[in-house]
Amino acid sequence: MSKAQKRRRPAPPAKKGRRLSSVMAAELLLEIGVEELPYQFIAPALAALKDSAEQMLKDQRLGFQSVRTLGTPRRLTLLVEGLATRQISMVKEAMGPSKTVAFDQDGQPTRAATGFASGQGVAVQELEIRQTPKGEYLFAVKEEQGRPADVVLEELLPQLIAKLSFPKAMKWNSTGVRFARPVRWLVALYGGATLPIKAAGITAGDQTKGHRVLGNAKGFVVKDYESYLKGLERQGVIPDPQRRRRVIEDQIAVICKKTGFRLNVDADLLDQAVYTTECPNAIIGSFKSAYLEVPQEILITSMKEHQGFFSLMNRDTDKLVAHFIAVANNQVKDMTLIREGNERVLAARLADAKFFFDEDRKVKLEDRVKKLAGVTFHQKLGTMAQKQIRVGKLAGLLAVQVSDQFDELKPVCERAAALCKADLLTGVVGEFPELQGIMGGEYANHDGESDAVSKAIREQYLPRSIEGELPRTIAGQVLSLADRLDSVVAFFHVGLVPTGSEDPFALRRNATAIVRIILEGNLRINLGGLIDNARNHVIDDGFKGIQDSEQQSRRRMTEFIFERVRHYGRVVHVLRDDVIEAVLKPAHDKALDLVDLLLRMKALESVTTKPEFDPLIVGFKRSHRLVEKEQWDHKPVDLGRFEHPAESALYQATTEERDKMMSAMNRGDYGQALDGLVRLKPAIDAFFTAVMVNADDPALRSNRLSLLKQVDDLFMSFADLSQIVVQGG
Amino acid sequence: MTFQDLILTLHHYWAKQDCVIHQPYDLEMGAGTFHPATFLRSLGPEPWRAAYPQPCRRPTDGRYGENPNRMQHYYQYQVVLKPAPDNIQLLYLESLAQLGINPKQHDIRFIQDDWESPTLGAWGLGWEVRLDGMEITQFTYFQEIGGIELNPITVEITYGTERIAMYLQQVNNVFDLAWNESITYRDIHHETEVQFSTYNFEEGDVAMLMATFQSFERECKRLLANRDKQLTLPAYEFCVKSSHLFNLLDARGAISVAERTGYIARVRSLARQCAERYIEERAAMGHPLLNRRMGRGGAKSSGTRSKTVAGRS
Repeated sequence: MSKAQKRRRPAPPAKKGRRLSSVMAAELLLEIGVEELPYQFIAPALAALKDSAEQMLKDQRLGFQSVRTLGTPRRLTLLVEGLATRQISMVKEAMGPSKTVAFDQDGQPTRAATGFASGQGVAVQELEIRQTPKGEYLFAVKEEQGRPADVVLEELLPQLIAKLSFPKAMKWNSTGVRFARPVRWLVALYGGATLPIKAAGITAGDQTKGHRVLGNAKGFVVKDYESYLKGLERQGVIPDPQRRRRVIEDQIAVICKKTGFRLNVDADLLDQAVYTTECPNAIIGSFKSAYLEVPQEILITSMKEHQGFFSLMNRDTDKLVAHFIAVANNQVKDMTLIREGNERVLAARLADAKFFFDEDRKVKLEDRVKKLAGVTFHQKLGTMAQKQIRVGKLAGLLAVQVSDQFDELKPVCERAAALCKADLLTGVVGEFPELQGIMGGEYANHDGESDAVSKAIREQYLPRSIEGELPRTIAGQVLSLADRLDSVVAFFHVGLVPTGSEDPFALRRNATAIVRIILEGNLRINLGGLIDNARNHVIDDGFKGIQDSEQQSRRRMTEFIFERVRHYGRVVHVLRDDVIEAVLKPAHDKALDLVDLLLRMKALESVTTKPEFDPLIVGFKRSHRLVEKEQWDHKPVDLGRFEHPAESALYQATTEERDKMMSAMNRGDYGQALDGLVRLKPAIDAFFTAVMVNADDPALRSNRLSLLKQVDDLFMSFADLSQIVVQGG
Repeated sequence: MTFQDLILTLHHYWAKQDCVIHQPYDLEMGAGTFHPATFLRSLGPEPWRAAYPQPCRRPTDGRYGENPNRMQHYYQYQVVLKPAPDNIQLLYLESLAQLGINPKQHDIRFIQDDWESPTLGAWGLGWEVRLDGMEITQFTYFQEIGGIELNPITVEITYGTERIAMYLQQVNNVFDLAWNESITYRDIHHETEVQFSTYNFEEGDVAMLMATFQSFERECKRLLANRDKQLTLPAYEFCVKSSHLFNLLDARGAISVAERTGYIARVRSLARQCAERYIEERAAMGHPLLNRRMGRGGAKSSGTRSKTVAGRS
């Protein structure tokens, strides 16, 4: 790389025959050349580069057509098209002291005026006096002339580079600058002219580099974006990640077509291939089919985690085949050497995996359990042995609630729980932690445990991601719930709660999983009671928690779970926020049946679309406000005190609907229950039209308030409908 | 290329890059990083370039000579350059070419691998270098050593000599490597693997090892405490020795999960004090290597170096 400082020079008479001086806009190209970046850092860095470039240009009043980014492990590139050659000029106004303060009796400027003027950088005489609604005030008016874009860019680009931040950064030279990996060259061109910016101890030029081995050692000179792309292409680099992605997908598709295999699609691996290569080249390799005796999850994981290989499946049987796809970052005429190298490495990896698998099966899970006492769950929360016992207790309680056949289910859940963490001590899980549970299920099966027990152990970590697959068996659901409930409650108990974006123990993900398993599995359980049980088990294990009562602790937990319910309701069922709130608000301290709460929300959501709903809520809220605000004796409604037919009509309607509604609610037919409320609308409206609640006669007033209280109770028995937002409500 | 030729080739190549061809340190250690030529020389402002093979002991990796890849004793080839040259990746790739690995014919990748040694209070960022999918080198820009932030930055290149030799000789079992024309790796090391695996896993006297760990730790502390005597280098040796004893105890299963971090912290604390003391002593000596011309071309001193002596992190 030439570090020689290139003098800024006029744009070459480009093809379109334009010169920088004669046009209003030009192209900006910035390339940060680096040593291989961690692949996960690249996409976020490019997004940040784009955002902050747009922001900075806007702040600097430099117009542009478009900003885009390109990137590989060795370069982060910014392209701004149609970037204005000059900042927009701007008139800046600032209001100062009032005229009376600014001038003394002789009309001479006071210290307030001179201070304001010098603060604004204008002479006192230049200050203007203007009429404002507050009276006459001093104003400083300055015109800021737009500066040429290249001058501004020379200030801006180093900041842009410095602003890029990474999850982990390092120093490498005497400037002490930090970046994810060393920056080795910079290209900065505006309108074809080099901008000799300095960053990380490097002066930008017009010289870039191609692919490490496909390009030539000296690199090449860039004139503009077009020549940049062409040059890179010639030197083995596809700078656009989207294009690399398509290239890889096409190469894989060709291999699959030729061989008849199906790709085991993996978005992470594809990302990894896209962002670890400049010149992707997918090749197929194979391994000894004898390894197919090992569970395919182990093989797939080993290929992925150790080598970054894609696995391939037989189209008909959907079973793994003894082949893999590697994406190399080189293009050699004969790829045999590279393929063989990769095959040899994989063979050693699979031999290791098979060795672990064979060794693991020599010891029963049951015999590993006692060693869990040596595995820490968390410093503040003891060992995995303790956790496993707690999970077992909760699983037993859950089993009784979720199924009528608990005589069968309970022993299955308890047995599965008693073995569930033992696979943490196996060689395969030691090597591949992400196979926990899967290996437990495999080994349980090998040990001769029942199918139900093996499956439950296998499914205990499902869902593995926010939207991941759920446990299919009831015992699996129970085990997963018990495990997560224990984790969330235990960490809350010792005060390790998520804050902001920090959630080191993935408690939010656990809570989301709890919500999904309950709702999507339609499990009618008393979550509130289970939270109390879980907490007591943690306390029984002797872990000192933060000082709060059972009720406070339950509230914090339910609020945490509700936060997930809200999110789930919004995203999955597209429920209105006020509908969700109306149902959740009164649910806090009751037995928590999430399935029931969701049914209420859905019924309420669906009734909100009826035309009479909003006016109904307006009427309800009027009565709700009255009974909340007013003081009265709360005596039962006295029919003899009705003065107006509208009063007795409302009373009658309420009484009738109450019975129907209660029986509908008991059946769980919330739609019908709400229809009952809707039917009250005419009576409520007629009441408010006909009578004055706050009558002069105190007895009359009390009676009317008591009547409204009946109406209110009826509405509130469904949900806190005062949370519903309506126009005019 | 025989195993010994590989080391000779690297010697030759890095000698030309103005490295001191150092010798292995004569203590048991878990990695070439423990060698004072890396651990201590990375500290402070003085430039430094060295290359050396280092036998490494990792008792828990022993497999009684039955595993084709894993051993409790193997050889790293270590290169350290301070300050890290701008073209260091190129220099490294050229060294591979010297070994007969033409980067143009292979898929050579720099895959993120951030290095940390809790025992040494050290960390750095870098890569594992993969040759057609096989890890052959660790490449690290040190950021802290002994808990001390570095300036200038040292780059460390650690070649996995057996891996590379296996690749070059196309053998799948490390013991089949040709050490020279007539002697194999098996001839030299198979019996050591069998005997040391047995000792490390089964026979080590835990009480003796424990007591020795403690006396080495005590000795290190005693030497450090007696500041006037200036015995930092012997103190550091006892730190290295206690680290190896910890590894032996670990292999014997004598250290529980809960205790592990405690032991590591004890060694780290020794390493940190040695590092601090070394920096003070080099400063007191006036940093003898600071303006020394190195080799033919000379590792030139960069302008700002003297400004900041490594500050505490």
